[in-house]
Amino acid sequence: MTLRATDVYHAYDDETVFEEVSLSVSPGEVVAIIGPSGVGKSTLLRLLALFDAPDDGSIEYDGTDVWAVGDRERLEYRRRIGMVFQEASLFDASVVRNAEYGLRVRQSWTDRIRHELASLVGAENGTIEVVDALDAVGLADKADQDASSLSGGEAQRVAFARALAYEPDVLLLDEPTSDLDPRNTAVLEEAIGNARDRGIGVAIATHDMHQAERVADRVAVLLENEVIEVGPTETVFEEPTDDRTQQFIDGELIY
Amino acid sequence: MVLELTTGAPLVVDFPFEWHYIRSIIAVSLYVSLVAVALSTLCSLPVALLIGFTEFRGKTLLTSLINTGMGFPSVVVGLVVLFAVSNQGPLGSFDLVFTPEAMILSQFVLAAPVIAGVSLAAVSSVEQNVRDAAYAMGGTRTDVAFVTIKEARYGIATAVLAGFGRAISEVGSVLIVGGNIARSDGTSVTRTLTTAIQLEARQGRFETAMLLGAILLVLVLAVNAIVVRLGNDGGGRYR
Repeated sequence: MTLRATDVYHAYDDETVFEEVSLSVSPGEVVAIIGPSGVGKSTLLRLLALFDAPDDGSIEYDGTDVWAVGDRERLEYRRRIGMVFQEASLFDASVVRNAEYGLRVRQSWTDRIRHELASLVGAENGTIEVVDALDAVGLADKADQDASSLSGGEAQRVAFARALAYEPDVLLLDEPTSDLDPRNTAVLEEAIGNARDRGIGVAIATHDMHQAERVADRVAVLLENEVIEVGPTETVFEEPTDDRTQQFIDGELIY
Repeated sequence: MVLELTTGAPLVVDFPFEWHYIRSIIAVSLYVSLVAVALSTLCSLPVALLIGFTEFRGKTLLTSLINTGMGFPSVVVGLVVLFAVSNQGPLGSFDLVFTPEAMILSQFVLAAPVIAGVSLAAVSSVEQNVRDAAYAMGGTRTDVAFVTIKEARYGIATAVLAGFGRAISEVGSVLIVGGNIARSDGTSVTRTLTTAIQLEARQGRFETAMLLGAILLVLVLAVNAIVVRLGNDGGGRYR
């Protein structure tokens, strides 16, 4: 299940964000997208998550151009992708109801209404997938708590569990730990590693070089509207082929 | 005391302090206000969602019009509705003058902008990233709409209650289109708590006026207490 952007051109309000950007995420690998703030890492992830169609180029899922198929089929592709944003963006509900959201929207309306009624009389229980996902981020014991009672770090871990609960093929992470303390960051990085080990392809946008080194198998460097370099993490960090990569890693490129 | 013309028809009917009189006034007040608010909600909420979810030319103008509508002078609304339901008006054939239904119509016009305006503010305040999260988890546009309604539920409930508050405590328009009518047996036809207070006070029956005022106050206070309670429940994002 490979998600691939090929020769993507995209602009916002006539301002070019990308020119001919290509990137792929394969099962069981972690790809870090590094680059300075504002370079378009989030935009690239949103294109991969099928929020918007690229102005030119294609987004393919296992060789199928997902913007060349109908809405219904594209929804099925979209539902094989999970995403975590920089902010936790949890719903105003309990932890378990947040974590199970992805599973709920995949159910029939009859089952969803039945579930809503059951939850009204307090007969709701997290399914095994939801409990497992919360367990993966160490929050199974907080399932019944209100999401608003969580700390920022815990909330972000719930957001990760929410994306993991429906077992996506691909996980897209948009600077998921930029606001977190080291402990919460470590928990999430371990969860990312576990997801990869289960065969999930992960793309993580980060401006933290050390994090990219810790979690990624491959690194793509996004600079000046294009991916200037992509390769195995060690190679990119130790023997970059593009001078700008070295300058960026050394902190010499100012934007 | 009943003053009678020579023909025997009552000119001014002095209702004694009787509970069936009070009860019928409360019933008419609640009937008119609740039906008006229910109809306003049914019309206003979809409008608020539509405006909140979509971008179109004239959105700012429409929002401004709704907000202006929240401050409509009620007597002017009463006058316009009276014209509409009068024999020469566009709704003249329905024979609605001085009926509870005409009062419902005027309260609908007054409550609808309040419910639409406050609901729109509530829906618009749901953060884009929460909507994005619902979409990214595989939600359809309908799912995202439901998430938005759920997130804005306290604000929407506040809107409905604010609409009810406006309707039940309104006096000018219901007086004009309803006529403040009671039957000779002392039961209300179009007499509401507010119009009854106005009449009782004018006729010097302060005891009855005060009692009706107290009942109205309790109703409005109860509604406000619920609004405040909902407001307290619906806040906060992470510690």
